[in-house]
Amino acid sequence: MAIGPEWTEMSELTHASAPKRFIGGQLLGSSQLVLGVILAVLCIAISIAAPQFYSEANIIAILRQCALVLIVASGMTMLIITAEVDLSVGASLAFVGCIGMAVLNSTHSLALGMLAALAFAGGVGLFNGLVVTRLRVNSLIATIGTMMMLQGGVYLFTREAVQNHNQLASFTDLGAGYVGAVPVPVILAALIFVVAYVTLRFTTLGRYLYAVGANEKAVRLSGLRSERLKLFAFVVTGLCVGVAGMILSSLMNAGQPTAGRGFELTVIAAVILGGTSLLGGRGSLFGTLLGVLVLKVIDNGIIILGLNQDLQMVVPGVVIILATYLDIIRNRANVR
Amino acid sequence: MSVDFLHPSEGAAIDGNVPALELRGIDKRFPGVVALENVDFTLEAGKIHALMGENGAGKSTLIKIMAGVYGKEAGTIRMRGREVDIKSPRDSLKEGIKVVFQEIALISEFTVAENIFLEGYPTGKMGSIDWKKIRADSAALFNRIGFNVDPAARTGSLPVSQQQMVEIARALAHEARVVVMDEPTSSLTPNEVSLLFTVIRRLAALGIAVVYVSHKLDEVFEIADTVTVLRDGRHISTKPIGEHTNDTLIQDMIGRRIDNLFPRQRGAAGSKIALSVEGLSTAKKLHDVSFEARAGEVLGFFGLMGAGRTELAKAIVGYDPITSGTIAVDGIRLAPHDTRTGVKLGIGLLTEDRKSEGLMGELPVYQNASLASLGAFARLGFVDKAREHRAVQDYVDRFRIKTPSLFQQVKNLSGGNQQKVLIARWLMRGLKVIVVDEPTRGIDVGAKSEIFALIDRLAGEGLAVIMMTSEMPELLGLADRIAVMCEGRLTVIMSREEATQEKILNAAIG
Repeated sequence: MAIGPEWTEMSELTHASAPKRFIGGQLLGSSQLVLGVILAVLCIAISIAAPQFYSEANIIAILRQCALVLIVASGMTMLIITAEVDLSVGASLAFVGCIGMAVLNSTHSLALGMLAALAFAGGVGLFNGLVVTRLRVNSLIATIGTMMMLQGGVYLFTREAVQNHNQLASFTDLGAGYVGAVPVPVILAALIFVVAYVTLRFTTLGRYLYAVGANEKAVRLSGLRSERLKLFAFVVTGLCVGVAGMILSSLMNAGQPTAGRGFELTVIAAVILGGTSLLGGRGSLFGTLLGVLVLKVIDNGIIILGLNQDLQMVVPGVVIILATYLDIIRNRANVR
Repeated sequence: MSVDFLHPSEGAAIDGNVPALELRGIDKRFPGVVALENVDFTLEAGKIHALMGENGAGKSTLIKIMAGVYGKEAGTIRMRGREVDIKSPRDSLKEGIKVVFQEIALISEFTVAENIFLEGYPTGKMGSIDWKKIRADSAALFNRIGFNVDPAARTGSLPVSQQQMVEIARALAHEARVVVMDEPTSSLTPNEVSLLFTVIRRLAALGIAVVYVSHKLDEVFEIADTVTVLRDGRHISTKPIGEHTNDTLIQDMIGRRIDNLFPRQRGAAGSKIALSVEGLSTAKKLHDVSFEARAGEVLGFFGLMGAGRTELAKAIVGYDPITSGTIAVDGIRLAPHDTRTGVKLGIGLLTEDRKSEGLMGELPVYQNASLASLGAFARLGFVDKAREHRAVQDYVDRFRIKTPSLFQQVKNLSGGNQQKVLIARWLMRGLKVIVVDEPTRGIDVGAKSEIFALIDRLAGEGLAVIMMTSEMPELLGLADRIAVMCEGRLTVIMSREEATQEKILNAAIG
């Protein structure tokens, strides 16, 4: 109630103390700053309690944990910036792994397995996108529908895990391999992250994605095809799930229909934690990266401190509420 | 809620010298900004007191302090001579101050009667709510203000004008001594406005001090007894309305004089047809609309509420679908009928609803300005930001857009400056035809003349300007030719020379 239409009333006066988010964004938006501090505090606190936190093995384990989430979160950040969301990524992740593994088994080709996985996951994204942009179904509802269809559908496809029959070395490397000291999934995640980052920050496409999230009608009136922009973001999110699904099945050495439960929440939590607004038009991939790191460092900390593993759900929940609240306080300070 | 509201002391029975409400030396700061500085504001019982000022003058802040939405930093508030401490909207209501905000704060799913007694339902035996009494009391309240609303109606189903009446009835139920109306006429029809004025006068006659917040001069002259003008958070003047003229009031509001609201710099229109519309119909509103517009002319469209101006604007730029007819820009048909084709051909809309259809509020000024022309600043899909910023800066300078930087979020700009950013968006793209819909809606008097000058300049640079407006002075001051609409049809097109207010209104009534 306190910050609303009267905004304009204040406008001419607030110039002097205007929020500088878009200049700051070049370095670190202050929401990222809050998150960076949280991350630093976490790391210091955990390493004091358990010095093995800083071992090379543990750091690599954390990064590997981050990779899967970051890959999908990169696409999800774009999608949420356009003011849409995809809740079907977890269910799709499991399905994709099974399909990829099945194709791999029957063709003995990693390329074809990969292709099948990408085609399926991209197809899911396309389906979501079409339902949202053509049928105008709210994306929250549409993708819950897709999620349920996929969760059930995967059992129509296979009752049990699809085992890896031919043990292709290249497929095993996808999840478990290294280039030098760096795990392959981490390299893939970094690549996808950089491409998404550059797209959002430096290209017309990225600018249009923000614009669509900020005001779709204005974008349409400017002669741009807002539906296609949203569709694009849905398909990209789907393709990211394709990559992540194959990595996951490589790590598990099987396609697991039960995998990926709750994965969508982790991904969305990381994106929101990173300061991307569910209302669209605002957010950054760098924030998402920090969000993923915070969540996974917490996970790791709980394990190496030997705490009850059920806390792995509880603590991130608390962190999300806390971080979002800090962001609100910060915004309020800017406004007033 | 006490039961006594039906028989309060009518009229200003209390000591005539004690003001109903007195604010003294009110200061309010927001970080880095002084919103109000040492403002005095005194209300007399039974009088209608207009509070005027441009956007940013501090009107809203002042009434929010009265409403308990904001706290004050310094100063005192006295109700009938007694100092009061207002910390929350609840305190304010308890002291007898009722603010009817522009955005009506009723629960739309509740009935009218439920809303009126929201803060305390009368209860019967066993603590159950006495619905019969609620209905009867509501009806009695409406009777007192001389306006009937069905107490059993679902509030959300009522037009805004009647929801305002519900708010006023609530004020009476709370035995309010002060009723503040915040820009109450912004979404009312002329008929509803005169009804509202009757009710407001009735309130004054009941001995209530009414604050009327507005920036519409004619309304203030019609209804107010006294006018207080704020500017830049300071008190400028308080005078009986009789001592003001249009000019003195504007001068107080903007701090300078406006000599010519409609400066015409452009020459005569060319002969080239830039836009031709033939037999245009839409499913809901428009019937067989045909007209042509020449490069360099301003073609003004007038019509009453619901005449179809906005519908026409949205149809000819390709935003809303049409059922039949053709639109051609420079002789090339707009087909397929969408905004992408429209913008390619060079026709664009400056929307009447900046917030929901024009601005990307969260995004910075430069991104708002370059939205339609971003492709021109890109190579292989990568934006050349330096070039983009230079181009936007150029418009910021030329249009004198007041913004601390290109990176300011556009929602923080004033209405006039936001409008300039949106005009820049289209000029950066390069248009042949621009459709402007209510170009000065929500814009201060001072900024209006600048927008008029810009529209004049657009036509001067060879664009065909199609201007939809409900403001007669704007129409007569800017247009070369005047088209009048009535119920979705174009009734007449006349030249500026042959147009008179009577002719235009007659054509608009049909």
